[in-house]
Amino acid sequence: MQVLLNEIVAFWPAVLFNLYFAAASIPFGFVFAVLLALGKASTNPWISRLSRGYIYAFRGSPLFIQFFMFYSLALSLNISVWKPMGVSWFVLHPLFIGPLVLMLNTAAYTAEIFYGALRAVPRGEVEAARAYGMSRFQQFRSVIWPNLIRLAWPAYTNEVVFLFHATAIVYFALPVIGAQKDLMITAKEFFERDYNAFLHFSVAALYFLAVTLVVFFLFGLVYQRLMRHMPAPPRLRYAPRWMR
Amino acid sequence: MSDDLAFWLGYLTNGKHLTWYASFQFTIFAALLGGSLAVIFGLIGATLKNSRYLPLRLIGSFYSSIVRGVPDVLFFLFFPLAFEQAVEWLVATQVCTPELIAAQSAAWPPCQAANWYLGTPEYLILASVSLGLVYGAFATNVIHGALRAVPRGQLEAARAYGMSASQVLWRVHIRQMWVYALPGLSNVWMLVVKATSLLSLLQIADIVLWADRLGAPNFLPTVGLVHDDWRWRYYLVLFVFYIIVTLLSERGFEALMRRAGRGILSERTN
Amino acid sequence: MKKIILAAAAVLALSGAATAQETVRIATEGAYAPWNFLDDAGKPAGFEIELGNAICETAGLTCEFIINDWDSIIPNLLAGNYDVIMAGMSITDERLATIDFTANYFPPDPSRFVAAGSDQIDIAALSGKRVGVQGGTIQAAYAEENLAGANTVVSFGTADQAMADLAAGNLDTIIADGAYLEPVVAASGGAIVFVGEDVMIGNGVGAGLRKDEAGLKTKFDDALTALKKDGTVDTLIAKWFEGRGPYFAE
Repeated sequence: MQVLLNEIVAFWPAVLFNLYFAAASIPFGFVFAVLLALGKASTNPWISRLSRGYIYAFRGSPLFIQFFMFYSLALSLNISVWKPMGVSWFVLHPLFIGPLVLMLNTAAYTAEIFYGALRAVPRGEVEAARAYGMSRFQQFRSVIWPNLIRLAWPAYTNEVVFLFHATAIVYFALPVIGAQKDLMITAKEFFERDYNAFLHFSVAALYFLAVTLVVFFLFGLVYQRLMRHMPAPPRLRYAPRWMR
Repeated sequence: MSDDLAFWLGYLTNGKHLTWYASFQFTIFAALLGGSLAVIFGLIGATLKNSRYLPLRLIGSFYSSIVRGVPDVLFFLFFPLAFEQAVEWLVATQVCTPELIAAQSAAWPPCQAANWYLGTPEYLILASVSLGLVYGAFATNVIHGALRAVPRGQLEAARAYGMSASQVLWRVHIRQMWVYALPGLSNVWMLVVKATSLLSLLQIADIVLWADRLGAPNFLPTVGLVHDDWRWRYYLVLFVFYIIVTLLSERGFEALMRRAGRGILSERTN
Repeated sequence: MKKIILAAAAVLALSGAATAQETVRIATEGAYAPWNFLDDAGKPAGFEIELGNAICETAGLTCEFIINDWDSIIPNLLAGNYDVIMAGMSITDERLATIDFTANYFPPDPSRFVAAGSDQIDIAALSGKRVGVQGGTIQAAYAEENLAGANTVVSFGTADQAMADLAAGNLDTIIADGAYLEPVVAASGGAIVFVGEDVMIGNGVGAGLRKDEAGLKTKFDDALTALKKDGTVDTLIAKWFEGRGPYFAE
């Protein structure tokens, strides 16, 4: 028991890195995803094609490869672009490029969710808004968006959990700076010291599981708030049917 | 110009590159075996979840929710290690004498005679099994949902024909289930394909490892062509490779769904 | 009945172990030219591969080279996935606590700093710089101990990856084995230069083995002694490390 407690304490600094990666990428990914979803639904064929292609490429390839690709790409642009701009130390830092790639990745998955929700927004409500003489922005703000976010929220919750899980591979692909190590690197290093796979990996798994449950709880609260106008607000369930 | 072409052709077909091309077999093997196992584990999981006995139902639910609560890469690393250690422990209880245990200096295995050597084939199979286990949890939910989506009337009709419970299950329920499960299973397949990029973490010389080694800058003529950092080009190839696999899989599943959906009246409007 | 099955299982396991003993598996990194690398045919090549084959021939062993990432090379040796490490690994007290080494086949060699040719960098008063190392090397330990306070130490999976970041200007300096860096600096045509004072760490490079493999260690050591005496080791060093040696001539 003492061993387990020590282990949990030893992993504490590591989970902060995973939390940071998720927290830094989710808000930007959310905004980017909204733009991508609107782009995909756009009537302009170029904007639509571009958004469609982006979403397809990032959903159709592994995040692991995306990490390697973007790091080496950023590296090859270092001397010609980042150095002259004086942002070299910043751009190639895992704490920047990690969340950046996660953001690019999650934006594609989230955009697909939002796009699906966008198409499911009741047409009648949009027509009513138009009949009221609302501008396009007003239509979006007061009719489309509230519908969209309610429809998309359960699937989006799931995506956030997936993104948090995806933070586990950041340091398998990027260089490690000093003692900045996340849960997986910590577990791997502990394992290589004493071969106790069950202890170290279980504690890492425990952290992931705990954060997963917290995410479901918090996002569930938001969902209930979003659905407060319903007579019996539907509840967000753990392990829903959506997947990436 | 033609000299250039000949040079690049020669470079891209040297033994190192040929080994890289050959290593795609590991990725494809892991995807196919992992995908098939995911369906099998999914069927088992869904059967457990549908079981009449509470303990079995609990095991089914536990499996499908816990495996999904942790990252795939964690389970992917953990399972082969844990399986190896379990086998070694089992062998150790039989072959290790106290002297052998005393002679063992490392923390694991208990004695050297109990050591199980894992080469690429063993790791590849273990990796595929862990892919199957992880994504089997997803398939469990898909198949569980699909089993419930089969219209009640069809099962009742089968029963009215005098089929036994197992006949209803195997001849009607599971066969009809595929139609409803295919969209979800296609999703699971895409996840398995993308997860095959992790093979190099288990010391398998897969496409990712070779892309890194081929792209890494080389300064020494004795080693091969001197070039600077070309890694992003090699990773771009992998990026495109996976997108193409996704594209082809999508086409394949569409054809499969059309075939499976023959004769089924659907309310789909598109 | 149960006893018989168990006995059969034990015999199977033992015979499996016995056949596994016949080939000696040597792990190398394959990304540390000219020590060990993957040649154009995609096969392990380099100083240690030729030396390892010579040792096995002398000792009458059948050997096979296996590629394993550097950062897990000692754990996988201890886990029994191979029997020997020949991967430019320096003999140190920390490593001797977990594994055994043969006598060195490359003498103690200074670790050296390199930087891009255009950079002015003062290694003696290094501060606020980005120092690249390969994770898990003696230089990584040295940097962690002596440089981490005032600088940022960045660890990479392979030495080549660190070189790529240095060449791309993402690192100010790298500390690594002199024998690894010398050919790189020579071939770079002034793009990469040695800077600062050399640091003496490590007790030379040897082959790593598990501590319970005393028999194999003796065979390797005997073969190595013979190869040092007949000049093979020096010949190989001269072949792969230009202008080095002879170190072991009588």
